[in-house]
Amino acid sequence: MSSTPAKSEYLLLFRGLDWHRGLTPEEVQKIMIDWMAWSDRLVAEGRSKARSSLSGGGKIISGKDRKVSDGPFAEAKEAVAGYFLLEVSGLDEAVEIARECPTVPFGATVEVRPMPAQCLASQLAAAPLECIAEMLNGRSVTSPVTNAAASALA
Amino acid sequence: MNSDSEKSDYLLLFRGADWHKDLSPDEIQKTMTTWMAWFSRLMAEGRCKGGQSLAPDSKVVSGKMKNVVDGPYAEAKESVAGYFILSVSSLEEATEIAQECPTLGYGTTVEVRPLLARCAASELAAREMATAEV
Repeated sequence: MSSTPAKSEYLLLFRGLDWHRGLTPEEVQKIMIDWMAWSDRLVAEGRSKARSSLSGGGKIISGKDRKVSDGPFAEAKEAVAGYFLLEVSGLDEAVEIARECPTVPFGATVEVRPMPAQCLASQLAAAPLECIAEMLNGRSVTSPVTNAAASALA
Repeated sequence: MNSDSEKSDYLLLFRGADWHKDLSPDEIQKTMTTWMAWFSRLMAEGRCKGGQSLAPDSKVVSGKMKNVVDGPYAEAKESVAGYFILSVSSLEEATEIAQECPTLGYGTTVEVRPLLARCAASELAAREMATAEV
């Protein structure tokens, strides 16, 4: 048994490619130094498990005919620029971390998304058919699976 | 076979939270069984390093005052419902995998994004430090 409270995973999606517009190179670099210090601290504290920035290039696939087109995927303001994968005690802590994001005051947006303890696709593949609609409409975030999985690992 | 050193990481973002809207529970389950088989195969082949579905409830932080509002960020059609991280030899291979997505026919859109080997923020920060050292 561990005395550490159960942790959950949250994905922070950083949106906005043009937060630096109107800033001097010096200001941009100062903000990025703050960013790296913030990001490194979260990793050192064990609260950030993974992080990455995304390249501006890429493809979009959509429709029955699986058509491939080039970006842009969304307006520059809305495009996903990178992510952190957090492991924290709850949504409040994840939101607190999101509010520390150094580019938010300059126009970036952070989307905080809980990750279900068990992947929804695998749950839907295995569930009794009569539960499917309920699972899709009112699916809960904090699954009891978290504790069961934690006990299994202990 | 390519060695790992020749591989790059790509993020697949699955967009669309309402692909199941017009499907019966049976069709939904069949589609998700196909989905899990697809995911398991990609993992077994070493072409997928991981993936997750995201819960729909979320918070959005923005503005000078760092306001917090309830999500989701985007309309159901565009909202990110999950992701895979691929380790493959090219953007073309990542795109081919994206085209196999079992819910594409039901309205899901897949966004393929290369992950930067080196974080853009650290590059910009390092450039500043290098300048400072001169």
